[in-house]
Amino acid sequence: MKKLFLTTALLVLLSLPAFSVHPGGTVYADVNGLVCDFCARALEKVFSKQKAVEFINVDLDEKIITIHFNEGQQLDDETITQLITDSGYNLRKIRHGE
Amino acid sequence: MQLLLYALLGIGLIIPSLVQARPVSYPGGWTGMFMNDGDKNSAHIHYSPTAKTSIGYRFEYWRDKEMTLNAAQMNNLLKRWNNPDSQANLYIKSGVGISHSDADDFDGEASLAGFTGIAADWENRQYFISYENRYTEAIKIDDFFQQSARVGWAPYKGDYGDLHTWLMLQVKHTPEADNNFTFTPLVRFFKNVHLFEAGMNNRGEILFNYVFRY
Repeated sequence: MKKLFLTTALLVLLSLPAFSVHPGGTVYADVNGLVCDFCARALEKVFSKQKAVEFINVDLDEKIITIHFNEGQQLDDETITQLITDSGYNLRKIRHGE
Repeated sequence: MQLLLYALLGIGLIIPSLVQARPVSYPGGWTGMFMNDGDKNSAHIHYSPTAKTSIGYRFEYWRDKEMTLNAAQMNNLLKRWNNPDSQANLYIKSGVGISHSDADDFDGEASLAGFTGIAADWENRQYFISYENRYTEAIKIDDFFQQSARVGWAPYKGDYGDLHTWLMLQVKHTPEADNNFTFTPLVRFFKNVHLFEAGMNNRGEILFNYVFRY
């Protein structure tokens, strides 16, 4: 029972960062052509070169990239669209989160 | 004319099909492709300054011809169709360099050489189809045409970072060969920046490919 409790506690602790609000905010971009790991890596590499970007997550199932920004920084929609285009893909829709 | 007919036949029969792995990467990306099959061993290292162009170096060794090729190669993405659940591409791949043969008839002859061809592919996360052809001219040694096509199926859909598995069938057509069609069932494993392929054709010849991308 104790082992189960500890394991559960550990899993909860490890999953906390996924639910935390990023200080710099988050943008969700629906992307056309996102069909494989090479596509995902292309977007990851291109966005990681931006100082404003802390990191991105790529969801191949939903064809969505989630862009997490560093505190106090952002990229405008036009720049995000251009970066996705430069990576070889097309932006379908963009949404702003917290 | 015969060459054109072969190309049209290939395109018409197999429809948009074959590519080993994408010949153009993301801006600033490096790719290494190491291919081995019944015909040849090859290595191709390229750099992509943009998502539409790559430039690099190619080495090939054709075993039956005892011919090597060292070439500078440029690949261009002519058109990409990005859809919500699929992607299709059309490329042109060309190179120029020096060829060298140790075959009896040539006895170490070196020659200016070049090649060009188109490649097309369509894929979603479960199905894959591709086609590619190439005409090679090693002026003092040989000239030949080859085309190939692939169909692929992924038994499961992995997410980014997972191990991706594909089962594929490759058909290769070499008009100058006696048995000019070969069929190669193969398996592709793809994880992070690494892609492996292994198979064996209907002549018992091994295919082993490795691609990395940084």
